[in-house]
Amino acid sequence: MSRPFAKLVFLLTAAFFALFFLWPIAETIRGAFIGSDGRFTLDYIGEVFRNPIYLEGLWNSLQMGVWSTLLTALIAIPLAWISDRFLFPGKTLLGALVLVPMILPPFVGAIGIKQILGQEGALNALLASIGLLDPSAPIDWLGEGRLWGVIALNALHLYPILYLNVLAALANVDPAMEEAAENLGCTGLRKFRRVTFPLIMPGVFAGGTIVFIWSFTELGVPLMFDFTRVTSVQIFYGIKDIGGNPFPFALVVVLLASTVLMYAAGKFFFGRDSHAMMAKATSQGGPRPTSPATGLLCTALFSLVTFLAVLPHIGVVLVAFSTDWYQSILPSGWTLSHFEAALGHNLTLPSIQNSLKYAALATLVDLVLGIAIAYVVVRSNLPGRQVLDAMSMMPLAVPGLVLAFGYLAMTQEGKFFHFLNPTTDPLAILVIAYSVRRLPYVVRSAAAGFQQTSVALEEAAQNLGCPPLKALRKITIPLIAANLLAGGLLAFSFAMLEVSDSLILAQKQQDFPITKAIYELYQLLGEGRFVASALGVWAMAFLGVTIIGASIILGKKLGAIFRV
Amino acid sequence: MIPITIENLVKKFGDVAALRGVSLRIEKGELFFLLGPSGCGKTTLLRNIAGFYIPDSGRILFGDDDVTRVPPHRRNTGMMFQSYALWPHMTVAKNVAFGLEERRVPSAEIKSRVHEALASVQMESYADRKIAQLSGGQQQRVALARALVIRPRCLLLDEPLSNLDAKLRLEMRTEIRRVCKESGLTAIYVTHDQKEALSISDRMAILESGTIAQVGTPEQVYRRPRTRVVADFIGETNFLEGKILSSDGATGAVETPFGRFEGHFGDPDWKPAAGSPAVLSIRPESWALREEPAARNSIPGEIRDSIYLGEVAQYQFAAASTPLKIFELNPHLAGRENGHKCHAVADPGDVVILQP
Repeated sequence: MSRPFAKLVFLLTAAFFALFFLWPIAETIRGAFIGSDGRFTLDYIGEVFRNPIYLEGLWNSLQMGVWSTLLTALIAIPLAWISDRFLFPGKTLLGALVLVPMILPPFVGAIGIKQILGQEGALNALLASIGLLDPSAPIDWLGEGRLWGVIALNALHLYPILYLNVLAALANVDPAMEEAAENLGCTGLRKFRRVTFPLIMPGVFAGGTIVFIWSFTELGVPLMFDFTRVTSVQIFYGIKDIGGNPFPFALVVVLLASTVLMYAAGKFFFGRDSHAMMAKATSQGGPRPTSPATGLLCTALFSLVTFLAVLPHIGVVLVAFSTDWYQSILPSGWTLSHFEAALGHNLTLPSIQNSLKYAALATLVDLVLGIAIAYVVVRSNLPGRQVLDAMSMMPLAVPGLVLAFGYLAMTQEGKFFHFLNPTTDPLAILVIAYSVRRLPYVVRSAAAGFQQTSVALEEAAQNLGCPPLKALRKITIPLIAANLLAGGLLAFSFAMLEVSDSLILAQKQQDFPITKAIYELYQLLGEGRFVASALGVWAMAFLGVTIIGASIILGKKLGAIFRV
Repeated sequence: MIPITIENLVKKFGDVAALRGVSLRIEKGELFFLLGPSGCGKTTLLRNIAGFYIPDSGRILFGDDDVTRVPPHRRNTGMMFQSYALWPHMTVAKNVAFGLEERRVPSAEIKSRVHEALASVQMESYADRKIAQLSGGQQQRVALARALVIRPRCLLLDEPLSNLDAKLRLEMRTEIRRVCKESGLTAIYVTHDQKEALSISDRMAILESGTIAQVGTPEQVYRRPRTRVVADFIGETNFLEGKILSSDGATGAVETPFGRFEGHFGDPDWKPAAGSPAVLSIRPESWALREEPAARNSIPGEIRDSIYLGEVAQYQFAAASTPLKIFELNPHLAGRENGHKCHAVADPGDVVILQP
């Protein structure tokens, strides 16, 4: 490949990241440290640590992040281990179903879980009907302050990411390593703790990092639970007076510093050395058949997890179809009117159009950038190509909330990027926000494609008179179309689902994407939650189709996309 | 049909020099082999000629045309890749037509030339097949047709037979020679299989850690290796250490622990003084087993073991502590029992004197 082209891609990507990744972060940091008199100050940061409300928010955020990650690990690691080791009835289907929660927007699920676990919800009604509960003293399953509801929903939404990472790490463990341990007398759980787990630690760390950053800064779920004493929500409420209030800036900086610190600490303690496998596996590992009893146990466990994870969304679907649902196990009546109402509401149709437009454009940007970056990283010998690779992965390590806030900050009155201000037209800034966040997935899937496609195929075309870039277009792109399609579909569906960017950056009703429309509909009194649920069901059906398509096309390689 | 000239080519990868000053002239219409152990630089040299590597210094000339810095797609070479590099998303005919489409050849002509090229490798009935539906040998033929159909200035073959089974390899190597000679193309063929090189090449170059050890016809290289490495790499041989007794231009005499040996110098430029150390290379088939010793080039010993292969017998012959490998054509095993004591004698014309 020609050196000038590689350099051009490098420079363009570097410029794109400087403008739309580093700049917003820098703008936010500036806001947190520069006082109204234009001088450097630590007052704002100091106030965050003095004000008990902010401190409580940070403490709750930390709890949200830590407990969500631990709960996620508790679900994901055993599932991945079972899936790697055993054959059990229904494995193919369950292995796919267990991934479904990843694409269900958790903040929509919040509507459903409140309906089921709330004081007037289905579970209490069920317990009362079988006489286990006194209807006059209902239990609040979600707990005081809703923290545990948020954590459960986060974990049930995020465990597929860790599951895929651990599964991929386990597949890489040479079975001979474990056989050697057994040969030396170390078996069972002890073998898992002493040999297997240390070997898959990098995979656990990679997945765990994404899960932690995601849940630590989660905005949509606590917002739907009215759980306001958490930093992400405090920032969200703070943006209304972003022009005059420095504290949201300080909160964002504290949030960002905490994630970076956590990431560095995690990397230091757990991810330091990835254990390179000596050689290709020497013996055939792979899942083994089990006794019928164990097999059924595995099936039951997978089914249970899938059921629990889908339960909030079943709740949403039921809400969407119900006339009313209050203090009863199932809704008291059924109707299709919410779907009509959803489509008839002046928020919904434009929001669907908007989301399609934003997500499609963002996917296009991701594909163009992603293919160029992957091509340079895999196929060129440009000295800076590892930097390019690392750069394109950075958005995974920075919370979406931080970036969204940064975009807002850098487009304020008087700033260089004021012409992109989302109150005038959020199209450009939302497309940029969506594409920056999802670029890593596209780069990863394109890079995987390039690595699997022999470079000799392109060389043969060049040898027959085809210039290098044309050879890329005519030979390699068609061959890696499946990877690109899958990466693009993932980028597209995540853009459709994007919560923090959408809630923060879309400010006028006619520009709302689906997620913000659902949030606004939910705020309406009366019919609100029913219509919001109906729109949520539309969105889920839509995403279900795209993600199933992606997983069929990409098959087992899906896991490779979610690694840091 | 053009000659190819390579002048003092140097190519480094980081600190490692893959080619350290290679010069060659390949005559027009010649089937020229680059041969050597893995890591010797033969594939690097071929990829420099194809244009996939740009050398650090030196020149490559196609005829009088300096192509050293011309990108691969403007060199008009036809290359056959080790993996064939056939595009799995195109049919056989599409693969072969690709180079012609790139050259904007009219479609009617493309059609006839593709048919002609496929016919020349007996693949015309497979034009509409997908690549995955072909066997290894068929893929190899399609790759050859794809390289030839553009009427390239030269044909470059990178270990084209290494993915085939032994029987197909024998069949395809004569096929490749036939096609090359019919088209009259200058062809450069990279391999590590000496049988391939000996059987079909016009001339060959043996590479050794980035330099050319020897260039010559198969017979020159086999019968008069210039270095110990070449002698060892091409065919089987026995080495005997000794000291130069006398030299007379092309021939000389060497004192070995078993007596006096006469032979030819492998490297005509080597003029050793009497007493300098030397090594003799004597091929297994150059020895004859005799009951009586000869006046020169003779070693006493005993047969340790024998393998009978019908047309040939392979003997393990032990002279004191030195083992020798001896092949006898049209063998009669009577009197060749293990432990039988006899003498191994070599003709001076078959003895090569080399620098140790």
